[in-house]
Parts: sequence; structure tokens; C-alpha cells
Amino acid sequence: MDIDRTTTALLTGLFDPRNAAAWEAFDRRYRPILIGFARNCGAKDVDAAEVAQETIVRFVEEYRAGKYDRNRGRLGAWLVTIARYRLLDSRRRAGTARIERAESAMVDLDDERSLGASYEAERRQALLREALDEMRTRSRTDPKTIKAFEMLVYHGLAPQVVAEQLEMSTHDVYLAKSRVAAKLREIVLRLESEYEEAPGDWDESGPRPSDGIHS
Amino acid sequence: MTGGEATQIDSDSVGCGRFGRDDLEMLAIAQSDPSAPVVDGIVEHLPKCPACCAVVDRIVADNAFLHELARAASRASDSRAAIARLEAQREDLAASGGPISGYRLGAEIHRGAQGAVFRAEQIATRRVCAVKMLLGGRFAGDRELIRFEREVEVVARLRHPAIVTLYESGVSRDGEPWFAMELVEGERLDDFVRAHFSPPRQVAQLLRQIADGIAYAHRRGVIHRDLKPGNIVVDAEGVPRVLDFGLARLQGGDAPAEVNSATTMAGEFVGTFAYAAPEQLAGDPGAVDSRCDLYALGVVFYQCLVGRRPFEGARSIAELVAQKTGSVPTRPSALNGAIDGDLDVITLRLLAADPARRYVTADALVEDLERFLDGRPILAREDSMAYVVRKTLRRHWIASSAAAALMATILISGVALAFAYANAQRQRVRSERTLASFRDAVGSVNPEASSGSASLSVEQFLELIEANSANELSSEPAVLAGVRDTIGIVHLGFEDAPRAERALSQALDERRRLYANGECSREEVAESLHNMGRVCILQRKLTEAEAFYREALAVRSDVFGERDPRTMLTARHLASCLRRENRLDEALALYDALEVRALDQSGYPALDLAAIRNGRAFIYQSRGELPRALSDFEDALDAIRGQLASDDYRVGRSLFNIASTQERLSMPVESLQNATQALEILRKRKGGDAATVVDVEKLIARLRSLPSIDPSVGPN
Repeated sequence: MDIDRTTTALLTGLFDPRNAAAWEAFDRRYRPILIGFARNCGAKDVDAAEVAQETIVRFVEEYRAGKYDRNRGRLGAWLVTIARYRLLDSRRRAGTARIERAESAMVDLDDERSLGASYEAERRQALLREALDEMRTRSRTDPKTIKAFEMLVYHGLAPQVVAEQLEMSTHDVYLAKSRVAAKLREIVLRLESEYEEAPGDWDESGPRPSDGIHS
Repeated sequence: MTGGEATQIDSDSVGCGRFGRDDLEMLAIAQSDPSAPVVDGIVEHLPKCPACCAVVDRIVADNAFLHELARAASRASDSRAAIARLEAQREDLAASGGPISGYRLGAEIHRGAQGAVFRAEQIATRRVCAVKMLLGGRFAGDRELIRFEREVEVVARLRHPAIVTLYESGVSRDGEPWFAMELVEGERLDDFVRAHFSPPRQVAQLLRQIADGIAYAHRRGVIHRDLKPGNIVVDAEGVPRVLDFGLARLQGGDAPAEVNSATTMAGEFVGTFAYAAPEQLAGDPGAVDSRCDLYALGVVFYQCLVGRRPFEGARSIAELVAQKTGSVPTRPSALNGAIDGDLDVITLRLLAADPARRYVTADALVEDLERFLDGRPILAREDSMAYVVRKTLRRHWIASSAAAALMATILISGVALAFAYANAQRQRVRSERTLASFRDAVGSVNPEASSGSASLSVEQFLELIEANSANELSSEPAVLAGVRDTIGIVHLGFEDAPRAERALSQALDERRRLYANGECSREEVAESLHNMGRVCILQRKLTEAEAFYREALAVRSDVFGERDPRTMLTARHLASCLRRENRLDEALALYDALEVRALDQSGYPALDLAAIRNGRAFIYQSRGELPRALSDFEDALDAIRGQLASDDYRVGRSLFNIASTQERLSMPVESLQNATQALEILRKRKGGDAATVVDVEKLIARLRSLPSIDPSVGPN
């Protein structure tokens, strides 16, 4: 495990406003999750990006002011609570109670459990993307194996087509898929332990409005 | 994942070996898709073979995992609304032939992290332009897409000669967003300056045009945030254009505080760290505002003036931040002798670590550059003084508002005193500006919001100003010398000779040194010499005073001419000094000459003429030529009566001079009348003139004791 990448290390680094690396790492990790989460809650692209931006900035401010105590709740729960108020603000600003999307597709902002589940789904997706990224850029897996895997899984090509284009047997195409899947599982497991954010109980909540979150 | 499972998957034989990997894969697929073809006998085999069963289970789990992964990966490049919009536009564009409808793309001009720029021609208008395309198109990340759209939105609202013009935007057939803009053919700013050996003045002209564009953008709420020589191109006509608003931020309205996204992206920001303001590097989102652009312009300006950036050699961001916040860059003029001191001040003002020390707006920068180019005094120097005053006041506020008002009065009159001599155009502009700045500085402090000692004396206050000035203005020695000169004069006003001497002699030494380096004018040296003369008079060091006055007079006569009020002021002080030295003939000759010059000038100040006559009258008095003395004193009183309030202390003193001369001329009735009036006026002036009041009272007592005088006349 890369100890410098753990959430604990990241939060420690974040205390220092001049530690640009910690800020970058934190932002890189949580911004995509928050954008996806805000989208699930019905925000449009640009609004979602703004909500993520405001949430991160607000979290870092509060964290530096000593308001966030990890023992009191999970980081994700805290972020969700901040983001929820930002989303409500964003809706108010837009002057609409509901944004133009099928309501069934939206997460109810008053339902803490579904908010938590939505965040969790985004977090998992972000983690998978990061794993993929690492597999592509940092792992020593043979490029042809990765190519076969991508053609098969991303582009949805038939194993025979992949085999033909890459001049390999379908057996090897399937083997490539298995090898890459194994490698990815390994990376995902490691990232989960670095992030120290295994799925947990979402009833442990973040800050309440009385904490001054909502301005 | 265990090592054993990995070995099994990697081996050629799968499961028990009866069926191949393809067969087991198909069986796994068939579990969720019954239409998938499976090989004969495998369905019956599976329940009986734990080895094959384990492999199929593994494949099923892999497939579910990979499906989830594929979905996550597609989300990453799926900026849904944007993509939907792109899809709709794609259909329209599909038939148009080239990748961009209506444009013929030419050679690639530039490729950066964000996108590529092509030379292009708009087919309908035959207009040559540049087309920028976001690389990766629909598969670009959210951030890139948003940034690209932001750039289109930002540039579209800007129309300025120094900012590249956007023509139109859209989406290519391949789903890649693009925009067409004016094609600027030229050189990067730094290359241009280097290749043309641009002198400092030309660099200042270029910067003025760039700053004008940035000021315009700021007024429309746009902060560029990535200004650097590579983003400024000088065209064939020598006009600079600002490009690349990809990192720009819209300010104002309900726009939320946004972190500089540049700092959030590893790898992208590295190239521009050198141009980022310290508060940008510190990652403090609240501190990032339009003044970041001013800092970046400072770095660009510095680099263009001297050929290198102000801070170089840092090995890490932390080191760069430490340099930028902890040290003042070397003055450009120290690296290039052709650079004017005013450009030093402007550049270092832009590079101030504290944003509050920079120009307040880009418009203010434009104004100072215009002033510099027109040969007028720049405002940054005066602002520096006001800044020091404001900061001092904030740090050490006086609790009671009455004390505050008193302090403001003292301060303003002190400054007014310092600039009372300033009559020439250059000085007048400067003194008016300075007074305004000082008033603003004093007025901007809210006593209720501050705490501090209620017993801060004027001396302590001035010392604080002095200490802060030495600290804050270390990079602007000419301004610092001006502040010390002003402080010295305020001390002089309070007849505090030791403090006045300390401040004024420091100012003089500093100005002599600066003058030797060409960083301050002879006029300023002469001003300090004159003020040193005044201190010496206060200390009764007449020989030294005479030497200072004579040197000041020589410079002022040379620079301003003999009839200039500043030259005549020094001459009058010299005459007064000679009189005190009892060199009455020399003094008298000087006063006579001054009176002739004064009367030749229709606009000569009446108060100054009165002072000349008063001085001469004292000489006549010493020589016993009393009628002449009385005549001069009376003329002086006539001159000042038109100018001052009837109860001004100077009227009182003048009346006393007349009364005492009349006493000696045996005119007791007239003398008593004037002395009584003088006492009435002088008693009103609290504190200051106690000695004169005593003298007047003694005179009145003497007159009353005369037998010809009715003792009931006059005050009790």
C-alpha cells in the first residue's frame, strides 16, 4: 500500500494550505465522485461541476477550521451533506424545484439512504476508473493483452473479431480478459484499502444544518 | 485473488481439461443469455465436475465485474447533456463533408494539453482564421469539456483590440467541440521583445496595450488566470493579443468561489507556476481574484524588461512560494541601467506578495503606464505612502473617535505642510494626489472595528509610520525618502528638533545617494537641503543652516529659476538666517532683491510678500530705523489681512510687532490699541504662542504705567 495515498495521509496534508500536492490529490479523487453524485441528483453538467467545486472548497474550509472529525462520521457522509445543501441552493438559484429530467431518474434529496447509496455508487465507479487507469498506465501487463481486453469489453466486439484483428486465438482473447480482470481486481482491492472507505453504515451522518453548513 | 486461482486461469488446460476455454466462456454467457450457443454435452458435464464449475463461476464473476467496469469507464467520458447536444448537432453536420461544417482546415499551428489549433478558411467568406478543437472530442473528460465550453463562453463576450476575437463555435462531425477565432500571426511576446531588442519604453507600450485588454476583461468579470508570454502574441503590426482563456474564471454576480482549477490538475500547471501569484500557489481559493492577473503581468513585464523572470532557480513549489512571499525581486533597473525608476516601482508594485499592495485594478496599472509614457508622475509612489499610513492606522488604532479625528487633522495638516511648497505643476499633481490618498487612508479605518491604545501620541504615531515605511517601502527607496521628509516636517511643525533632524537627515542622505544613481531628481535633494536648513535654525545652528540654505538655493535657482516661489522661499529663509547671524547688510540686500522680484510677479502670494517685509522690518528695528520698520510691519499686516481670518494668530503677531515698534516711537496710544487687539487674538490660540502672549502682556503693562495713558483703557 502506498502510505502517502491513504485518505488519512491526504487529510493530514490538506491541513496545510500550501500543500498543493495534497489539494490536487484530494480534488482528483473526490471531484469526479461529486460531479457524478450531483448528476444523479438531477443537476445538469455545468451545475454539477459547480456543486462539486463548492462542496470541495467548503469541505476543505471546514476541515481546516477543525469542524470535521473523522471519528464522528465517514468522509463520504460529510461530503454528501455539504453537497446536498449546495444542490438545494443550486436548485433555488435556478428557480426550479425539479430539474428537467424524469423524476424517477433522480435521487431524492430528502432521502438520506438513497443519497448515500448514490454517492457510494459514484465512489465505486471512480475507484474502478482509477483501477483501469492504473492498469493501462502503470501495470506491466502486456499491451496486446490490454488491447484484446479493451476491444472485447469496451468496444463490445465479438471474440472472433478480436482474435482475427490481433492475430490470436479466441482462447487467448478469453485468457487476456481473465488476466486483465484478475489484475484489475487486485488493484481495486488495494485502492479500497488505501482509501479506507469500504462501504459502511450510512445512518452515521455528516454535519447538520445547525453546524453552520448551510449558508 | 489468490496465487492458486491465477495459476489456474493462466494455464492452457481449463477445468478438468475436457472442454476448452471458449466452451466454458460460452456457457458462462448462456447463464444470462439463454440464446447463446453452447457445445454439446457441457451442460450435463458441469454439475458433475467441480473444476469446470469453479472456472465457469469465475468467468461469470469476471464478466459481471467487467460489465460494471465498462459502465464506469463510459461514465467518465459521458458529460450527458453535452454529449446529447453533440449528438443532435452531429447529425446536421454529417452531410457537410469536412470535419467542420463551413470550414476548410489547413495545417496544425499548435497542439497543447487541451487541444489543437489549425489554420482554417471559412468557406463562405473566404476569411482566414484559426480553429481550435478539443482533442478526444466526445471522449474528453468532463473537466476538459467544461473548460473548453467555458473558454468559448468567455471569449465570446470579449471584443477588444488586445484580445483575440472569437467568430463562432460548434461541434465537428466526430463530436469534437471547436471554435473559430481570429488568426493572429506573429511572435510570442518574449520572443518578440528579444528579437527586436525592444527598449524599456517600447516594452511599457506593449504592456499598456495588454493591460488595457486585461482591464477590459476584468470589467466584464473575466479573470484570465494563465497570463504568460506564451499566451500573448504580438502580430505583424506590433499589436499584442491575449489568447487562451481556457482557465479563465467569470467573476461577479452569484458566481461561486472557484478554486483555480489549474492548481487542481497535476502536470498542467507546472509550466505556469512561475507566473502564478503566491496566493494562487498557496491554493487559497478565496484569495484568487483579478489581482492574480496583475501579478502575472508583473512577471511578464519583468521578464520582458530584463530578460529573466523575477524568481528563478526554485526546485519545488514550496521553494517558489517561499521566494515569492519572502523576498523582494531585484529592481529591474539594477539589471538594466536603461530602465527608469518609475518602471521599477510599477513592476515591483505588480509583484507585491500581498495582493493589497498591488494595483487595485488593471485600470490603475494602465493609468500609471500612460503617465509614465507621457512623462507625468506615476501614482504608485503616492499610493505607497497612503498604504503605509493605512496599515499603520489599522495596526495601532486609537480607540476614541475624537482622538481619531484629531489624528486625521494632524496628519493631513502635516502632509499639507510638507507640500505647501509644492507649486510647480509636477509637485502640485503629486501633492493633491497624496493628500487625497492620505485622506482616503485615514477615512478607511473604522475605529469601532479596531482596538488599541488610546494614548498614542503624535510622536509615537509618526514613529510607527516611519518603522512601517522602512519595512514596507524597502523596495521603493525614493518613496521612503519622501515619507521620511514628510515625517520630519511634521516633527518640525511640533518643534521637535531631535526627531525632525533624524528623519530629515536620513531623507537627505538617501536622496543624495539616489540622485547619484539617477533614481531621484535634484529638486528632491534641494527640498531635503532646505528642510535641513529649517531644522538647524530651530536648533540655533546658524552656520550649518546657512550652508544648507545656500546649497538648496543654488540648486533651486538652477533648476527652477530665481523667480520661482520655491527658490524665493529658500532665499527668504537664507535672509532670515543671515539676520539671526547679525549679518544685517547681507540680509537686507537679499530681502530688497526678493521684494523687487515679488512685486514684479502679479500672482506672487501675499503671505510670502508679507514675510519678506516682516523680515526686513526686524532688520530696521535692530538698526534703530524705526519708522522704516513700522512701515514694513504695517504693509505686511495689510498684505495678510486680505488673506487670513481677522483672528488668525499671524494677524495677532503682526499687530504685536507694530505695537512694539510704536512703543519705541513714542506712540503709546496707538501701541496700546494694537497690543490690546493682539492679546485678544493670541489668547484664543491655545498652547502654541504662550511666549508671545507674555510679551504682549508685558508691553501692555508698560504702556499702562505711562502717565499719558488712562489705566482704565485696555484689558484687565
